[in-house]
Amino acid sequence: MKTLSAITAAWIALVTAATGQDPLLRPLADSRPVLQELQRKMSEVRSLYLEFTQERHLKLFNEPLKSEGVMLLDRPALVRWETTAPYQSILLGNHKSVAQFESNNGEWKKLKLVFPQLLRRVMEQIALIHQGKLDTLTNDFAISVATGSDVTVLTLVPRDDTMRSMMSSLEVKLVPDFSGTREVLTYEPGGDFTRIIFTRERHNVTFPAGTFDQTNPFGIAAVRTAIDHVP
Amino acid sequence: MFRDCCLTLLVSVLLAGCSATKQSLQCTVPLPRQLFPADALVTQRGVLTVRGRQFSVNGYVAKSRTHGLRLIMTENFGAVLADVLVSPEGKVFVMRAKPSFRRAWIERYIAADLKCIFGEATDSNCPVRVVSPTHFIVERRWYKLDLWTVETKPGPQPAEMFDVTRGDKP
Repeated sequence: MKTLSAITAAWIALVTAATGQDPLLRPLADSRPVLQELQRKMSEVRSLYLEFTQERHLKLFNEPLKSEGVMLLDRPALVRWETTAPYQSILLGNHKSVAQFESNNGEWKKLKLVFPQLLRRVMEQIALIHQGKLDTLTNDFAISVATGSDVTVLTLVPRDDTMRSMMSSLEVKLVPDFSGTREVLTYEPGGDFTRIIFTRERHNVTFPAGTFDQTNPFGIAAVRTAIDHVP
Repeated sequence: MFRDCCLTLLVSVLLAGCSATKQSLQCTVPLPRQLFPADALVTQRGVLTVRGRQFSVNGYVAKSRTHGLRLIMTENFGAVLADVLVSPEGKVFVMRAKPSFRRAWIERYIAADLKCIFGEATDSNCPVRVVSPTHFIVERRWYKLDLWTVETKPGPQPAEMFDVTRGDKP
């Protein structure tokens, strides 16, 4: 009996690893109630601080290419996406503009971006997804929901063929009560995928002045210190 | 969505850059290849400047003493922009190029820069300046590429990485 259980457990683990899916996930016939609840819950979140590890899984490489960083959101539309390792780069966006800084031996240099409005749009999409405003994305994506014992998975499939030729789907894995985001995965048609694992999440923090400044952004170490001193 | 936008950005940069037909023949030595192990996986961060406008990229270079070089170039959010293999003899194979990302541009510029920095060739057309052991500047007539080596993992790379038949066909 123990052997049978072990074989069953191993099989489930194998299937889970092979498909990247929770085998106990149940797709919902009507995802609207869940999406509405998500949006309601996220509307209570004034600001968001997330630390993440990003894994780029390319078939060519035996190991994922890893990077680390933080994502900060503040209402109504302030976004900071910062890569902290193995290189340092900051993307800052608001509803009007976007800025990018690259670290050169510890000194930040602001880039003169090509078509910054397109990058701003990317930042806006990131903010919408993390604010639970998925209804604003339904023109671009078919959205479905599946629930498991300890996870809720939102799957966004691009409606546009051209977009789908580059990204077959995007998954957002949430804690069932929507109190936290666990992972975001983007899958590509060729089998490559990117996994962003959120390792630390804080809601409704007050960011120091200058955190989203597009001229001279406040250093992330100081932002972290300020957040850590807030209960 | 993210990739779509970023690719559009890059394509625009490249279209501007592709109007170039001549490369600068400026030659600055020494070449930086001796700064890397013979076998290694090297991660680089780059900022491409074309006509005063800038775009950041990541480069992952598998380097093999016996098999050559393989570069995967990605944009900010991880989408692959170019995949290039260079044999030990210096022959270039464009394994993957995004739509609208011209193969000729990849061969002429990306592969050339790759060979200048990591290859054994003694081509005089290598406008690479070594600012520091981890910072290189490639400056051609139509663009400038600032490259920072951010991680080097020494060790032999899998032979399959240099197999010319192993190209992704998305």
